[in-house]
Parts: sequence; C-alpha cells; structure tokens
Amino acid sequence: MTRQDPIKHFFIWPAVLIVLVISIFPLIYSLTTSFMSLRLVPPIPARFVGFGNYTELLQNPRFWRVTWTTTIIAVTSVMLQYIIGFAVALALNRRVPGEGLFRVSFLLPMLVAPVAVALIARQLLNPTMGPLNEVMTFFGFPNLPFLTQTYWAIGAITAVEVWQWTPFVILMLLAGLQTLPDDVYEAAALENASPWQQFIGITFPMMMPISAAVVFIRLIESYKIIDTVFVMTGGGPGISTETLTLFAYQEGFKKFNLGYTSALSFLFLIVITVIGLIYLAVLKPYLEKHR
Amino acid sequence: MSIRDLKGPSRWWALAGCLIWLAFTLFPLYWAVITSFKSPLGVVGGPTYIPFVDFEPSLTAWSELLSGARGQFYATFIASSIIGISASLLATFIGAMAAYALVRFTFEVRLLSAVIFVFVAFGGFLIGRHALGLGQAISLIYAFVAALVLAIGSSRIRLPGPVLGNDDIVFWFVSQRMFPPIVTAFALYLMYTEMGKMGFKLVDTYTGLTFAYVAFSLPIVIWLMRDFFAALPVEVEEAAMVDNVPTWRIFFGIVLPMSKPGLIATFMITLAFVWNEFLFALFLTNSKWQTLPILVAGQNSQRGDEWWAISAAALVAIIPMVVMAGILSRLMRSGLLLGAIK
Repeated sequence: MTRQDPIKHFFIWPAVLIVLVISIFPLIYSLTTSFMSLRLVPPIPARFVGFGNYTELLQNPRFWRVTWTTTIIAVTSVMLQYIIGFAVALALNRRVPGEGLFRVSFLLPMLVAPVAVALIARQLLNPTMGPLNEVMTFFGFPNLPFLTQTYWAIGAITAVEVWQWTPFVILMLLAGLQTLPDDVYEAAALENASPWQQFIGITFPMMMPISAAVVFIRLIESYKIIDTVFVMTGGGPGISTETLTLFAYQEGFKKFNLGYTSALSFLFLIVITVIGLIYLAVLKPYLEKHR
Repeated sequence: MSIRDLKGPSRWWALAGCLIWLAFTLFPLYWAVITSFKSPLGVVGGPTYIPFVDFEPSLTAWSELLSGARGQFYATFIASSIIGISASLLATFIGAMAAYALVRFTFEVRLLSAVIFVFVAFGGFLIGRHALGLGQAISLIYAFVAALVLAIGSSRIRLPGPVLGNDDIVFWFVSQRMFPPIVTAFALYLMYTEMGKMGFKLVDTYTGLTFAYVAFSLPIVIWLMRDFFAALPVEVEEAAMVDNVPTWRIFFGIVLPMSKPGLIATFMITLAFVWNEFLFALFLTNSKWQTLPILVAGQNSQRGDEWWAISAAALVAIIPMVVMAGILSRLMRSGLLLGAIK
C-alpha cells in the first residue's frame, strides 16, 4: 500500500526535474525550429516556413530510401535475433551440457561497445585480408564485396546487429521460460505429446506476452541504429546503407541545416510511433487470446 | 532429473547448436585479441589464426598505444571513467529515490496540470522569442520556470479531469526511452551552444555530458529499481515507522542497505550503457571530454588498415566491461544478487 508523506516530494523531484529539463527543452526547441528555415553555415536569419521543411523532406527520395533501409535492417535483424535467441534460450532452459559456460559467454556481446564491434567486423569482412574472405575463397567465391555493395553491406550490418543483441533476447526469454510451470509439461508428456507439439501448444503461447515485449523493445532500439553503420560503411556505398539517425547527423552536424534536421527528427519520432502502434494493433488479439 | 531435461539425441543436437553459436559469439573477440598481438607485417600477409603456430606475436601495437603514440588514450580513458562512474552513481542514487517514492507514496497529478505545463512552456518560449525578442536560452528558461510554477500551482486547486497516478508517472519516465536519441542529442547540442553564448560553457564539459547521461539513464534505473523495491518486505519499514523513525532515515538506514544487490546491478547496467554510448558523446564533446567510443571510432578513418593498432584500441574499450561482466556473474553466483533479477 502506498501512503502520504510530504517527504515524497523531496524524493521524486530531482529525477522529475532532470528528465523534464532534458526532455521538454529539446522538444520545444526542435519542434519550433522544425517550422523555420534556419541554417548556421552559411548563416541565414530564421524565417518561418510552416510545414515547408516537412513537405520538402517527404518529397525527398533520400528520406524514403533511408527509412526503407532502416526498416529492412531493423526488421530482419530483430527477426533473426528472436528466432536464434528463442532457440538458444530453450536449449539453456533444458540444461544443455555446459550450460553454465554458455550462459556467461552468450551475454558478452551485449556489453561490448558497438563502435568496437563494428571495427572488428570491418577486419573480419575485409575483402582481401579478412578471415571470412579466406573461407569464401575456399568455397570458390574470392573477394566478395562485403562492405562495398548494397546488399552485402546491409547483410553485414544485420549480422553485426544479430551478434550484438541476440544476447538480450536470450536473457529475457530465458527469464520468461524459467517461470513456466512444470506440471503442464508433465501432463503433456502423459498425453504423449511430441516435443514439437509441446512447443507449439504450450511453450510458444505461454511465452507470447514476454516475446511481444522483447521484440517491441528490440524493434524500437534497432531503428535508432547509428554507431555500427557509422563505423562499418559510413552510410556507403553512396547512401545505400544510411539509416535515419545517420541521415539526421549528416544534415545537422555536417551541413548545419537546423530547421530541416529538426523536422527530420520529428518525422523519425512519428515513424517510430506509427510502427509501435501498428505492432501493438497487430499483436493485441493474440495477446488477449492467451491472457 | 526433471521433466524439462533433454533426453536422447535431441540433447546432442541442442549442444551442437549452442557450440556453433558459441563459436560465432567468441570468434570476433578472439580475432581482435590475436590481431592486437600481430606485427604490421603479420597483418598484411593475410589471415593467420593461432599465435606461435602460424604467426609470431609482437607487442608493437600495445607498446605504441601505451606510450601515447596513438592519440591520447590515457586522457580519454580517464575522462571516460570519470564520466561513466559519476553519471551512473548519480543516476542510480537519484533514480533509486524516485523509484522508492513511486513504490511507497501516493502521487496524484491532474492531467490538466500536465497539459498546462506543456502549453505554458511552448507558449512562453514562443512569446519570449518572438514577441519580446529575448534570446533562445533565456526565453526557454523563463518559459520552463513559468510553466513549472503554474503547473504546481494548478495542482493545488481541484481541477476537473482525469487524475494520473503512480503507474502513469512511471510510464512517463519509461516512455522517455522510446524517443529517438537523435532528437534529444541534436537539440541538446544547440541548447548547450546557446548556453555557451551566455557564459555557461556546456559543450565539451564534464557537467554537460554527465547531466545528459544522468537524464538519459534515469528511466531505466527507475524501471529496474521500482521492481526491486516493490519486492522488499514492507514490514520492516512499518516497524520502523511505529518507532517514529523519520522517513529519510528509513530510506538511507534501512531500505538502501537492504537493496544493495539491486543497486549494484543497476549501477553496473547503467555504467555499461554510459561507457558504450556513442551519439551523445559525438554531439556534445569535441576534444577535452571525448569518451572512448569516439576515439575508437576515429581510429578507423585515421589509420586505414592498421588493424593491429585498431584492435588494441577496440580492446581498451571492451576489456573494462568484460571484467565488469565477470564480477557481475560472480556476484550473481555467490547469491548476493539473489532476487535482484527476477
């Protein structure tokens, strides 16, 4: 039970103030800027343009291209993370031999700085001197353009994302699996249900709520991807692997096109919100069914 | 032997799958470690895999890095550590207080007060900026203070409309994490620049970056610590209240010591997040308080294919967190964190 006590204000205000300052200040600032034409280099005085920045962005094919690239990377990598993560979590939950060692080492990638991961990936994927090239040459495909051709580059970025964030999925799903009751499985075993039937009929439906949460968190986080791309390809070749955050960085920090960048970041916010809403709407019937 | 254990061949299939995943997980890290011990010639000559067998290890990269020939690693490492540790400590402490308040006390905020806050903040900024001709930063500060005062004042009166409770406040905190950080980072950079014009230097300072990190870590701290405090037995605190122990002493003397495991886990998660963070550091620092991820990312464009040096640099960023993960799993096994992670 909660209670009343004037001291509660002393406890909560520091956190509220800090988060308010850091969230409302930028919000006000960039929302108002997004309706203006404002450049720092070359300096142009601010001019009100209404929805000008937004329409300009929506007509810019680069914006759609970048959104599409980000979506592809986010959706494929989260899908792979979920499938692999679920499989590994199931194995760990069933006490595969050597489970203790696996548990510790599987979590490692999550703690490694994404920038460092990207640098290592660049070495591994080098088309002439990397170890992966040697393997592919052995199979008869020398010098594949891992980072310099659009599809390969997107694949490489996706692979790095999978490497880094599957551990998070494993961690969450394993925690969920451990809360499932034993007796259901005992009953299923008595009925001679095959392992596959048990998975489809019991495990998967019961894991639905936590799965939904994990995929949601990963999807939202994946849309923010910048550091890996920044280091691995720099958005190239051309702009073919540029993501939304990287695009905003280029516009804002390289060209100092403030109004445009602010509008872009708000469109980004809208994209994320829309994706979140679609995701929840699609999933809601299933979640309610299994409640 | 519980019903859950795998039997027969499926056990070995699962093991094989796990081993493949283990190789996939560990190979890149292994590769970084051996590359950092290769000589420049050994790297250019093509991939080699086992030290002493197919290449002769050399300490070139590490001696260059430690002697400072490869950029200011010492200064950056120290800056990264200071910012990481102090931001995580502050965030854990402030977040724990807020989480405790949200678990134990009743909060009621009228939706209308929140709406008033947003409107006055926006309107005040626009009026200050365009009608009164004040500077950006000044009008932001005035608008913020006015909005805050009006919102608090209005919550004293019984306004109509729905009331937001503790859960809504928690949701508000957590929803801050959904924001694309680029929105905040970019605007924060502009705001810091404006403040700099007024005499408060915030870009590339300790205060500026730490403040941003504290604010950005708070949602996750509150989320984690709330679950933790909610699981604590309330009886101890009630007993103390019967003895008229003041609330602040209950919190600092009883609750915080009891939740040490949760605090440690939260601190470490926050530290890992701050240590690896890239975007805020990219926007808000340029030389003096640059953090390791920025320096490491810079190695790429500066050094081209000097992989021995790049690997060593990447490892400097990786190793502290791996050591921390080791400590964390030790703590978990020793039972110190029992109940901290549900």
